[in-house]
Amino acid sequence: MKQKNIIQIIILFFVIAALGFVIYNTQQKIAAQNISSGFDFLQDEASFEISESLIEYSSFDTYKKALTVGLLNTLKVSILGNILALLLGILIGISLLSQNILLKKLCQSYVEIMRNTPLLLQLFFWYAIMNSLLPAPQEAISFAGTFFSNRGISIPWFEFSSFSWSYPKFKSFNFEGGYTLSLEFVALLFGLVVYTSAFIAEIVRAGLLSVQKGQWEASKTLGLSAWQSIRFVIFPQALRVAIPPLTSQILNLTKNSSLAVAIAFPDFVSVANTTMNQTGQALEVILLILLVYLTFSLLTAAFMNWYNKKISLVER
Amino acid sequence: MSKEIINLTNVNKWYGDFHVLKDVNLTVNEGEILVVCGPSGSGKSTMIRCLNRLEEHQKGKIFISGTELNSEAKNINHIRKDVGMVFQHFNLFPHLTVLDNLTLGPIWVKKVPKKEAEKRALFYLDRVKIKEHAYKYPGQISGGQKQRVAIARSLCMQPKILLFDEPTSALDPEMVKEVLDIMIELTKEKITMIVVTHEMGFAKEVSDRVIFMADGKILETAKPEEFFNNPKHKQLQTFLSQVLT
Amino acid sequence: MKFLSIVFISLFLIMQISQTVKAGTLANVKKNKLIKCGVSTGLVGFSAPNSKGKWSGLDVDFCKALSSAIFGSPNKVKFIPLSAQQRFTALQSGEVDILSRNTTRNLSRETNLGFNFAPVMYYDGQAFIVKKKSKAKSVKDLSGATICTQQGTSTEQNLAAYFRKHKLKLKVKVFESFEESTKTFVQGACDAYTSDKSSLAIFNVKFKSGFKILPEIISKEPLAPAVRHGDDQWLDIVSWTVYALVAAEELGLNSKNIHKHLKSRDLNIRKFVGATKGNGKALGLSKRWSYNIVKQVGNYGEIFSKNVGKKSILKIKRGLNNLWTKSGLMYSPPMK
Repeated sequence: MKQKNIIQIIILFFVIAALGFVIYNTQQKIAAQNISSGFDFLQDEASFEISESLIEYSSFDTYKKALTVGLLNTLKVSILGNILALLLGILIGISLLSQNILLKKLCQSYVEIMRNTPLLLQLFFWYAIMNSLLPAPQEAISFAGTFFSNRGISIPWFEFSSFSWSYPKFKSFNFEGGYTLSLEFVALLFGLVVYTSAFIAEIVRAGLLSVQKGQWEASKTLGLSAWQSIRFVIFPQALRVAIPPLTSQILNLTKNSSLAVAIAFPDFVSVANTTMNQTGQALEVILLILLVYLTFSLLTAAFMNWYNKKISLVER
Repeated sequence: MSKEIINLTNVNKWYGDFHVLKDVNLTVNEGEILVVCGPSGSGKSTMIRCLNRLEEHQKGKIFISGTELNSEAKNINHIRKDVGMVFQHFNLFPHLTVLDNLTLGPIWVKKVPKKEAEKRALFYLDRVKIKEHAYKYPGQISGGQKQRVAIARSLCMQPKILLFDEPTSALDPEMVKEVLDIMIELTKEKITMIVVTHEMGFAKEVSDRVIFMADGKILETAKPEEFFNNPKHKQLQTFLSQVLT
Repeated sequence: MKFLSIVFISLFLIMQISQTVKAGTLANVKKNKLIKCGVSTGLVGFSAPNSKGKWSGLDVDFCKALSSAIFGSPNKVKFIPLSAQQRFTALQSGEVDILSRNTTRNLSRETNLGFNFAPVMYYDGQAFIVKKKSKAKSVKDLSGATICTQQGTSTEQNLAAYFRKHKLKLKVKVFESFEESTKTFVQGACDAYTSDKSSLAIFNVKFKSGFKILPEIISKEPLAPAVRHGDDQWLDIVSWTVYALVAAEELGLNSKNIHKHLKSRDLNIRKFVGATKGNGKALGLSKRWSYNIVKQVGNYGEIFSKNVGKKSILKIKRGLNNLWTKSGLMYSPPMK
């Protein structure tokens, strides 16, 4: 065997040995202190409420169900957030190359501010602004059956179960009926979209600039307008260049959504933290959090890779 | 007598401090085949790029089909409907098939219905003898084939004027002939062609006039016989002796 | 070669780390000349740093008392701030020697988590606070209300249990930080705020608009210091430090007068101040261990008053935290 292979095998052996030693040691110490371990706690009653959920949930349900609620909330804000961030980012990215100086400068300032302030601060900021600008539910601003208050946006909702419209009405403390987009969800979504779109805008701009000048010249020569050139010739080529960094941004938004608990949105990490607090099973819960985000990342990356392959330029 | 289709009067252009076009005066008639040659940096490409406003001139006037070229967008798009261009580096759209490369302009600029645009595209692809590659992507064909597609793409817009910016300079020698042959065939049409090139054979064979440019000025204009057999300017003589060996 | 040596060194380090934890905590503490005391990240009255980084509070004073008992000086303590999530693993792993962090004693913590609790330092309970102008007069009036709370351990559970039991509709907003949760409540985005009653006292001090605490106490939160399973000597020292604080108050000894009692005729006092053969040796400490606690830190009443009671900004009444002779629950077993 080659010498470098032998060295690699020896290193691998020691890495496995070190890992095994750490795991064994941890197990021994846990047993010595009589700490319980394992994932049995998932079947126990959660005994805590969650402020918003896409599925039926109450404190009588298991930790497993509670974590599922958190997971769905994370998916909700991540999927919606990524779609909106992409749309906004593409718009701003194109505007960064506009001939209109005012528009260009405005977009440049936007990108600079959003990229250079920490996301957590931005989330606190938007949440605080919305809290202070929106009135108490008793004095909610109403518009076309929709109510805007510091509890969120309550809209009329079509109930499939009873096949009728349900309208929000104020009752003693909050709005009942209809569907309320909580202030926490709106602030988190808004903050994530506004922040991530700045990064996406830069990626789109770089992608557009990376397309050879000759492509612009050819489109112009054919008589295509600036917008048509971007739409049919430049943007499709820019997209191919932009997909790897865009993938990063999509993953970032998903991971950043875990800041949710700072402004009381019950995402997966928030619910997992409460679970960890109540059961004390720190190792297991952290492992679950890692697995969930790892799965998100791998799935997103796999999809983007497939898409990237699908649209890649056909060569000999 | 055919009428004037392009007119340049006292055209000057600067890149910063560099004076690239110096008092250029030129008249081209409808249907004329004009060849422009000269040493590198003489301003030949810049001049024809001013004709479809890929470059802007700062002084003087340019008229295309009687319309003066200025900065208004409407004006530019109007001009570009009549002026096509074939580039040295082809500039085909790599993410579209050959056929889609050709139909993009007609469909979205001239509002031609898709079926008809495709029919037209296939017709021109046949003219440039490349119909069998209609559904391939630019990345899958050779340089010579790419340039022929580029020519077909310009033809699909049915321009009155076709500009060629060193169309064979980026090709491997064995592919130059296939492109020149197509261009020679084109000269039989009513289309006005201005060709910037080093291919003197082409100039001798089909051009109506040859122009020699150096240092941003047009030094000599003549019919091909005069031009090649009786060059008047010393610089042209030197140039021809270098190019024609 | 370089790779191999790195691997060997890391293995060696891993083994060293595990070694440190196996030795008894008292021995470790004496070796380090320092007690690593796990406290909160900032809870007024219990453990909070001032602008210069100096810690104060009931839990802080307890660790100082422990330091006096062991070292004869209250300053041999390193305060390590821990969030609610970190605190248990910090104690389990040995990152801290003791958890003095307003932690409620309960069955699962004493078993599942592998902890032993010392006697209770503060009997607390979960309560609710609303704005003075709120129509609610009792927690039962809060059905359908939005309740703000900080992500805690038993807080969410107690809240859900109480509302379930009384068939009230619950809307909860759970925040990671104390600041954010209280700010949101004060701004009016929540109708009520719930937390341990001891942390509600700060509202009327910190914020201008009036608040009222609703009468119900919905849970038992006996706050006690915690140590790891399997270290009896350390548990004894910590436990009897708590008792010493209470016993001192029972005996009428405080930081100002204890030096006068060095020559007392009372047998219990003589034992306490170390004038006769006391309990120091049995615990592995000096004979002045309990004397030092009171002289350098104070008795239970003093540290209560200074941090959360009359002499503090919180002005919490003794209530259950008074001596048993005054209808409270503070009761020290005989220190002999």
